[in-house]
Amino acid sequence: MAIIETRSLTKAYPRVVALDQLTLQVDPGVIGLVGANGAGKSTMIKVLLGLLAPTSGEVRVLGIDPVTRGHEVRARVGYMPEHDCLPPDMIAAEFVTHMARMSGLPKTVARERASEALRHVGLYEERYRQIGGYSTGMKQRVKLAQALVHDPDLLLLDEPTNGLDPAGRDAMLNLIHRIGNEFGISVVVCSHLLGEVERICDSLVAIEAGRLLRADRIESMTTGTDVLAIEVAEGTEALAEALAAKGIQPRLDQRALLVPLSNEDTYDVVLRTVADLDLPLHRLEQRHHRVAELFATEREASNVG
Amino acid sequence: MTTLDLTGVSRWYGNVVAINDITMSLGPGVTGLLGPNGAGKTTLLHMMAGFLAPSRGEVTLDKEPTWRHPEIYRHLGLVSEREAAHGFLTGWEFVYASAKLHGLADPKGAAKRALELVEMTESQNRRLSTYSKGMRQRTRVAAALVHDPGVLLLDEPFNGMDPRQRLHMMELLHDLGDEGRTVLFSSHILEEVEQVSGTVQVIVAGRLAASGDFRTIRRLMTHRPHVFAIVSSDDRRLAVALMASDSVAGVSLGGEGLVVHAGDYGTFTRELPRIALAQGIRVRRLTPSDESLESVFSYLVAA
Repeated sequence: MAIIETRSLTKAYPRVVALDQLTLQVDPGVIGLVGANGAGKSTMIKVLLGLLAPTSGEVRVLGIDPVTRGHEVRARVGYMPEHDCLPPDMIAAEFVTHMARMSGLPKTVARERASEALRHVGLYEERYRQIGGYSTGMKQRVKLAQALVHDPDLLLLDEPTNGLDPAGRDAMLNLIHRIGNEFGISVVVCSHLLGEVERICDSLVAIEAGRLLRADRIESMTTGTDVLAIEVAEGTEALAEALAAKGIQPRLDQRALLVPLSNEDTYDVVLRTVADLDLPLHRLEQRHHRVAELFATEREASNVG
Repeated sequence: MTTLDLTGVSRWYGNVVAINDITMSLGPGVTGLLGPNGAGKTTLLHMMAGFLAPSRGEVTLDKEPTWRHPEIYRHLGLVSEREAAHGFLTGWEFVYASAKLHGLADPKGAAKRALELVEMTESQNRRLSTYSKGMRQRTRVAAALVHDPGVLLLDEPFNGMDPRQRLHMMELLHDLGDEGRTVLFSSHILEEVEQVSGTVQVIVAGRLAASGDFRTIRRLMTHRPHVFAIVSSDDRRLAVALMASDSVAGVSLGGEGLVVHAGDYGTFTRELPRIALAQGIRVRRLTPSDESLESVFSYLVAA
């Protein structure tokens, strides 16, 4: 069953149309929601949570209509906002317990669930400290914990890696991947970092100016091209000449040589040429399409092929 | 005016040492400034820009100290992390004001050129408050470039930008470096740094952990075996053949192909084609698994 379904969903503000006849169907899994700033992602999230009524069209979240049954949707959906929204003078364990009680859990269960959720996101002894003294990475974890605390079926994460340094990003991405795959919770991740989306998501929904730009599985957006990239640690020019002499015309792209992958024999010819010249082979790889091509300018696109 | 030199620079705040004895030299081209949160990147950028005095050591721009030397601002531009721009100004007014503050002979022409460079001419008459983050950021770059400086420093220029704006900013930085300017930018998104420039300065806990091309840095970590992923027509047989080589420290068969730990990079990369050919095995893919900036960075931070 689709976790999110919309049919000609439109949300018009007095001066702009944020969502324009948007029709899409999202299957369970980890889904990346991408789009330019102002493409309508935030509006979309608010509509999905039942916090904003659409101007026209239909929307279903987990089969429920958030417009009329917003409470039921929010009981089954966890939301992690992008902006800094945590009370600095509260203790994390208390805050998450409070959020659990807001979702309708009784006091003792709320406390247990809060402690469990904080442990899942990797906050142990720190959870008894005030949130104001937390680092950005710890705050992001608290935001994620409160989204998880009522055991939702769907998580909406808005820019979960914002402001994190490389180690923090890596930890957050692994966590999201685990939630999606081990806990069996569907996750919608809004992100501007397409590399990130490629890494953790199963599918992707791209919206532009309130319309659907593309919705597809990640695999089908990163299929192989008929270009083979070869990198040698030294002697790139000699290799280029030797390949040209064998009738394979290479093209230089930064440090890689690109050759057309006409048939399987190309692999052997390349390997033979490298071995004959006694060059250190660093990389031999079929080029793949990248999600970033969705947004690439003409100049970028010409570099891909 | 394009060489920025730091000699034995330290900076402390009370008992806290933010920057600890850093010596580096930045020349024309694009360099990425990397480090975990709190490593001291912003402190370093501010000392380079002459906003902050080094507690010890010296920061010089072509032999002139940057601290207490306003003349350097004729040759240096800074885009700070905080979005300090007045929303009630139009893009044009903002860049034009910057040109006038620099006392340029032809402020109108300079502002026009700078806005063209960042491709903001079309929207220059709208107020900054109506701009998207990426447009505002580009306008701030224009204001920092209006006096045609040889050195441009940017603190987290990609923050909050969407995919298209990121690509655009990457192209812009790339072009500025190609023009012979010294461009230094800090960022947490290592894939992007990798795309803009291979040259990095890595700061860990206030110290310079490494500098130069990250691929060269990786080669210098000789104590770490190089990891390669291989997909071939007969992975198991290739694994056996590779194991016989001295340059290979270990081989494991995974779900998709082979993972090889090579002790000696030079020997392994030369031997692999020969071994595969001798066995009649077709190599479909050979990729280095820990050569990306991401893995080099994590090795540096962990070390």
